[in-house]
Amino acid sequence: MVKTPADWSERSRDLSRLLARAGVGDRAAFATLYERTSSHLLAVVLRIQRDRAQAEDILQEVYVNVWRAASSFDAAQSQPLTWLTSIARNRAIDSLRRGQTQPQLRTISPTIDGRESVDDDVYDTVADESPGPLDLLSRAADARALAACMDQLSASQRQSVALAFFQGLSHAEVAEQLRQPLGTVKSWVRRSLMTLKSCLETAGQREARAQGD
Amino acid sequence: MDYGKSDRADALAAEYVVGTLRGGARRRFEALLPAHSELRRATLAWQERLMPLTAEIAPIQPSSDVWRRISDRLDRRKDASAASSWQRLAFWRGLTAFASIAAIGLAVLLGNPRAVPPPIVVVLAPTDTAASGAAAAPIVASISGDGKTLVTRPIVPVALRPDRSLELWAVPKAGAPRSLGVLPTGSGTVALPGRVMADVDTLAVTVEPLGGSPTGQATGPIVYAGKFSL
Repeated sequence: MVKTPADWSERSRDLSRLLARAGVGDRAAFATLYERTSSHLLAVVLRIQRDRAQAEDILQEVYVNVWRAASSFDAAQSQPLTWLTSIARNRAIDSLRRGQTQPQLRTISPTIDGRESVDDDVYDTVADESPGPLDLLSRAADARALAACMDQLSASQRQSVALAFFQGLSHAEVAEQLRQPLGTVKSWVRRSLMTLKSCLETAGQREARAQGD
Repeated sequence: MDYGKSDRADALAAEYVVGTLRGGARRRFEALLPAHSELRRATLAWQERLMPLTAEIAPIQPSSDVWRRISDRLDRRKDASAASSWQRLAFWRGLTAFASIAAIGLAVLLGNPRAVPPPIVVVLAPTDTAASGAAAAPIVASISGDGKTLVTRPIVPVALRPDRSLELWAVPKAGAPRSLGVLPTGSGTVALPGRVMADVDTLAVTVEPLGGSPTGQATGPIVYAGKFSL
């Protein structure tokens, strides 16, 4: 089993208990679970689905599903925060799929001079305040002492997997964003994932050895 | 495509979890998950690898409206299911009775080590495919201690088109699912021929043409699935 950051595991212990209680119909436990996890899940969803109203609709769907599925959560198989985050990301990615077949919604916000501006380029809208996807990936790698291992990858390779994972971009969208051929981007993402996998496995073995000493 | 091959399963699961598997391929992958333990195992492993990376994203507080809306929906669900809660109550009563019998069984077991092991209860939860409509409640299956019979009981009666049947499958850790026959609409007992449950860790229910799959392999979507260990 892959080693996860300590705070992720610690939070998960509490959340397991809350989920188990929600699974037998305890609404108070479910409310506490929502309080402790909803701001994380909304942040994850908002990276993929930028429209705040739609992101909050997704969040609502996620928790209704969590309530329904809480009794089937298996703490032996996955950590609660991993489980919850996966459900939220899947919903967010599915909302992009629907968005492609439905009329596109755009966020129209009045500017200072009273005219309405349309956010045409979704990639620009995050850039202002929140850290970019590559930044998030390198922070995550730092937090888990993976930086040296991840350095085996070029910045573009890391960028490709970070855009796909954090922003929910498809291979084609990553290719467009990085102005690279589709095939190149596909192999970058695959290579980055395999590197990440072996980095995490090595780190896990290192920790296991350190504990054994 | 051979989803059983473990390298292929791992690569697909990675793409699914990272999010680059899209459209029809994503939906097919999700439909296959409940019945393919190799895919499920690879997916869980990738989720444990990648999801903690999101810990670095700064949290964003949802508006208070969101919780109110969730809460309202759960209240409505409770009202809507009030009618069926009698059935559920009966089920829980049944389960409580079962628990006491199991407790007595345990006492007997302690005194007689050769006694038959207690039955195994498997909860088959509705999959995403089944999430809409009437199929929101699980089906409970209990496998007798001697492994010869299986009793199924839907918590809420399952609504189904008249030209369709539900078929129950025993899904082994490796290899093709084995049909256990057409699922009765209400409670029912299924005889389990020898070895049909060997290496099986999942029960799944698919929607098939009336009378069951014509090919002997599952042809329709998986609507219920439940994992267990013997």
